Amino acid sequence: MPMYQPSSRGREGFEVSGGGQVLDLETAVKDGILGGGGGVVHSCATGEKFDLKKMIEELDSIEIPSVFICPISLEPMQDPVTLCTGQTYERSNILKWFSLGHFTCPTTMQELWDDSITPNSTLYQLIYSWFTQKYLAMKKRSEDVQGRALELLETLKKVKGQARVQALKELRQVVSAHDSAKKTVVDNGGVALLSSLLGPFTTHAVGSEAIGILVNLDFSSDAKTNLRQPAKVSLMVDILNEGSIDTKINCTKLIETLIDGEDFESEIVSSLSLLVGVLRLVKDKRHPNGVLAGLRLLKMICSHESVRNSVVSIGAVPQLVELLPTLNPECLELALYVLEALCTLPEGGLALKNCPSAIPAIVKLLMKVSESCTHFALSILWAVCKLAPEECAALAVDAGLAAKLLLVIQSGCNPVLKQRSAELLKLCSLNYTATLFISKCKLTRTIQ
Amino acid sequence: MLITAIESMGLLCSRHQEYNQADSEENAQTAEIERRIEQETKAEKHIQKLLLLGAGESGKSTIFKQIKLLFQTGFDEAELKSYIPVVYANVYQTIKTLYDGSKELAQNEADSLKYVISAETKDVAEKLSSIGGRLDYPHLSKELAQEIETLWKDAAIQETYSRGNEFQVPDCAHYFMENLSRLSDTNYVPTKEDVLFARVRTTGVVEIQFSPVGENKKSGEVYRLFDVGGQRNERRKWIHLFEGVSAVIFCAAISEYDQTLFEDENKNRMMETRELFEWVLKQPCFEVCQLHVKTSFMLFLNKFDIFEKKVLNVPLNACEWFKDYQPVSTGKQEIEHAYEFVKKKFEELYFQCTAPDRVDRVFKIYRTTALDQKLVKKTFKLVDETLRRRNLFEAGLL
Repeated sequence: MPMYQPSSRGREGFEVSGGGQVLDLETAVKDGILGGGGGVVHSCATGEKFDLKKMIEELDSIEIPSVFICPISLEPMQDPVTLCTGQTYERSNILKWFSLGHFTCPTTMQELWDDSITPNSTLYQLIYSWFTQKYLAMKKRSEDVQGRALELLETLKKVKGQARVQALKELRQVVSAHDSAKKTVVDNGGVALLSSLLGPFTTHAVGSEAIGILVNLDFSSDAKTNLRQPAKVSLMVDILNEGSIDTKINCTKLIETLIDGEDFESEIVSSLSLLVGVLRLVKDKRHPNGVLAGLRLLKMICSHESVRNSVVSIGAVPQLVELLPTLNPECLELALYVLEALCTLPEGGLALKNCPSAIPAIVKLLMKVSESCTHFALSILWAVCKLAPEECAALAVDAGLAAKLLLVIQSGCNPVLKQRSAELLKLCSLNYTATLFISKCKLTRTIQ
Repeated sequence: MLITAIESMGLLCSRHQEYNQADSEENAQTAEIERRIEQETKAEKHIQKLLLLGAGESGKSTIFKQIKLLFQTGFDEAELKSYIPVVYANVYQTIKTLYDGSKELAQNEADSLKYVISAETKDVAEKLSSIGGRLDYPHLSKELAQEIETLWKDAAIQETYSRGNEFQVPDCAHYFMENLSRLSDTNYVPTKEDVLFARVRTTGVVEIQFSPVGENKKSGEVYRLFDVGGQRNERRKWIHLFEGVSAVIFCAAISEYDQTLFEDENKNRMMETRELFEWVLKQPCFEVCQLHVKTSFMLFLNKFDIFEKKVLNVPLNACEWFKDYQPVSTGKQEIEHAYEFVKKKFEELYFQCTAPDRVDRVFKIYRTTALDQKLVKKTFKLVDETLRRRNLFEAGLL
């Protein structure tokens, strides 16, 4: 029977400490004797009645004293009852235990000589007081934070220059650490205020902090439309190009949020400065977080056909191909998606063809990472082989394409993939005689 | 010469192995001089060179004047007065250009009567035209000013002015024409604004050294700003300035998409700017490092105030570079849309001319109106911030 592992404080907790001191409810709770982390000393006599269930839910991340936990469910008890053995359980849980035909005490394994269950009102009082105390402390902390957030918003309306930068820095810290602060900012016109700070004359210091805050918030579609103004997006792009890695990631995420959804003109993402900046971020191997954020944005950008040409024109294809071996599976999938999207354009296909290491690298990825990756890799190879069949097919086959395709066909992949593989196999085999092709496949005799 | 003397003295001394009083003094002096040279060379290294480039009349000198007004002691009375001849020259040249233009239009246009000035004014107009053609101009008396104003207000001249883009009418025309009575005052001293509007073709190179004063009044970077002539014949002087430049500020007047060059009336100004931009970007010396900092490139899309009035009436496709422009709406939205279009064209051109995967340098575009001091100050604040950040980044501190 798994037992709740109590903290060291909890283990000591139930004994009367300090030699014979009378342990009343308030003291036990106030002095944190029951453990579970120090809380703000707070009087429980507020007269307000809280719902225990609600409080338990809201305090789910807190460390609860072991004595409050039901040994059956390992959850805090809301209606503790004691058996004749002296062990206490949550009423509904022990009743369920009985209904299953057991008449033993779950923890002591003793057979019960008495089927009475006594409500443990002392324990209930203790649980209730403890949770109330913790709940009130949390509420106060939250209010403090919310109050601070409001103060900072008011300050931002008035100050300029260094003071503004300082206020923004502090607001950013508060918002990243506390969800309640996020809500306060959003509910009090914070998004509009921050948005108004972004414009053609915003300094980097102000802009990077404001963006750092905005990236944590949820905003309405009106707010999004406001933020999509060309001057504001230009600023975000500039800051993305010049900022520290964290700032770059924030800008990337914010832009991603703004372009999510179909209802905007793709013009704002066709900025070459943006594309160059994102690509630089993707190539920066020192910061894997940046690579991921950049690829996610790049994927979203490339889902818009009109922008793909620009992406190819800045040399994205060879740069992405060079990166492929270094990427983890999540990034790989994104990168292959992008390459596939770019290969739908003749310029993209051409760029891939002209990249000598591209085809072998992509062939290598077939059936290696995931089904999606295989799907994209296949589409890329298909596009490129259609473009320049002799050249590319030869390269691909030399890199071991045929064996991989056979693997796909024989695997449990979805039928579309298998179909594609078969077609590609056919395409590639057109230039070879049967024997030559089979030898290129490096097949074993049995399969032959 | 002192150094040679010291050297030979040193030889003498080493031969005789004897130091007398005079020798040691000379040595101390040398040491002092060398130390000073070293100090100044070091200081020189910290001075950041900024270069204002661009075609003729793109606003370079105006920016230059603004920086002088903002970060130096501005213009004193003597300097202001030194602009009086320039102002007068602008006035005479403007009215002459307009009158000559009206005559040309009266000859060639189908509805020629529009461009014929009234009979009473004709004599005065001819007189003013001949004044305008002289090498040095007379003082602007009240009388002359009155005559010029009458001519300016003539319907034919106004019609010609509305087609000012076909002639070399300077951008300051309207401003000076509207202020004639003030300009002809006996004790006229040009205002700051007059100086900013005053148009004179820069020739050669002009420079100032300044330090933008920050919020906490601490002096920050030291900049040395160079202004050059923009006309074609001036550009061969540019190449001497390209070494060790921290930032190029390239001015492009976006309002001139329907105008032709002063030095070549067959060439569209915007097309000229485009070619010039390309040329500057491709200069190899801009990729060479000074203190490991690659030259930053700031593009000032200037004369926005004129652009926003023009673009709703004159379509952007007047310029071949913008021939694929499609208007989408009206009013302020359309102005913004047109501006973004022009900005994007320049951006595309920039990335075409540089290999972005190899050249990692700062490239920023600013919308400016060089005549607006507040705007220039705000813009320069951003330029300064960018350059400072760049320096910190290159030094590995960011």
